[in-house]
This record gives sequence, structure tokens and C-alpha cells, in this order.
Amino acid sequence: MPTRSDTAGNEKSYLRDMLTAGVGSVLEIGCGDGRLTRKYADLPRRIVAVDLPETLPRSDAEPLPESVFVAAASGIHLPFPACRFDHVIFSLSF
Amino acid sequence: MVHALSEARRVLLPGGRLIDLRPSMLNRRVELVLPDATLFMGEIDSSSTFPDHVAANEALDAALLAGAFGLEHMTTFAYMHDLDALADLREFKAGLRRSVMPESIVEQIAALTADRPNDYLIRIRREMLVARYRRL
Repeated sequence: MPTRSDTAGNEKSYLRDMLTAGVGSVLEIGCGDGRLTRKYADLPRRIVAVDLPETLPRSDAEPLPESVFVAAASGIHLPFPACRFDHVIFSLSF
Repeated sequence: MVHALSEARRVLLPGGRLIDLRPSMLNRRVELVLPDATLFMGEIDSSSTFPDHVAANEALDAALLAGAFGLEHMTTFAYMHDLDALADLREFKAGLRRSVMPESIVEQIAALTADRPNDYLIRIRREMLVARYRRL
């Protein structure tokens, strides 16, 4: 299906504006196939992107940048120690 | 959302930021974009998702009241999803899970584009909400 998402580039622009300058680490909750992750992946030094196993990027999907670590995890039980990230991104879709 | 907010706060550094990005509670609009005009064709009914929006808003309000986070900035923007042909719109419609697109929208676009060259776009316009909170 030939479709084009975020054709005006607004999502990318607004999200990048929201990330404060010099951000070091980001946890993205609800990353899905990494569609949003790719839009800011060049900014932080380290990104951890999590979602439920059935929605994570498939093995044949376009690879994410090397700065992105993808993990299966629920947003209500995050397998990380306290005080670990500069930013947390909630990427929700209803 | 309440538990997710609590977890987000736990893993954030003091002074860290929470960015909330999600659709607003407005229905998506379907537009037919022609070379000389953009025509509104109708709305995709997403009212079944509204309780989720309300719950998310209430959880965020509670977190603000409790002093867990402070709101720094909030705004909305338009997210456009463009389709090249009527067949793409039918496929998009079939893939909707919790929202409903009236068949009349498809029929209306079919009638308006039947005799046209391929000089149009079908645009799904959605209002998105983005907010940044500081961990207190």
C-alpha cells in the first residue's frame, strides 16, 4: 500500500523540539516497530526502546540505528534500576 | 497509565523529562486533496477510544497534583497520513481496529475521483498531543 505518514514532518519536528539539548539517555515506552524511534535516534547517546513482545520490530524490519537497544518489557514493570534515564517517552496509540 | 507513570518516574533521573505523545480526543478527518482544493469528506469515529484518553488524562492530572511531575510544555500538531488511491483507503479502512470509517466516505471519494487522472491524494488528518513534564 503506497502511503506516506507524517507527510508534513510535524511529529518528527515536535518530538525533537521536546528533547532537551544534550540529552544522554532515552527510554521509549511503546516503541512498536520503531517508527517513532527512527525520528530522533540521532540525538541521544543511548536509547532503550521497549514494548510488548508481539509488537516489537520483526526480524525482517528495517534495522534501527546502533544506538538503539530494543527490549521486550511492559511499561508497568520496567526491568531497569531507578534513576537511569534523562528522558522517558510515552508513545501511546489509542 | 497510573502504574506506568509511577514506573516512568522511578527510572527517570531527578529533573529528567517525561514526554507524552499521543492522539488527541478529536476524530481523524478524511480529506480529498485536489490540485486546486481540499475537500472534507468526513470523520473516522474513534469514540470507542475516548475512555482510554480520559483515563490517561486523569492519571496525569493525579501525578501533577501529587507533585510527581511538573508540566513544562504542551501543544498539539497535525499528523497527516497520505494515501495515493481509493484502493489504499479501502485497505486502510479494513485495518482499523477500534475506529469506524463510514462507507459513505469511500463512496463519496469514489464518485469524485472516478473521472479524474491520478492527480489527487486522500489525506487522513489526525490531531496529536505532545507534552513534556519534569520529574520533581
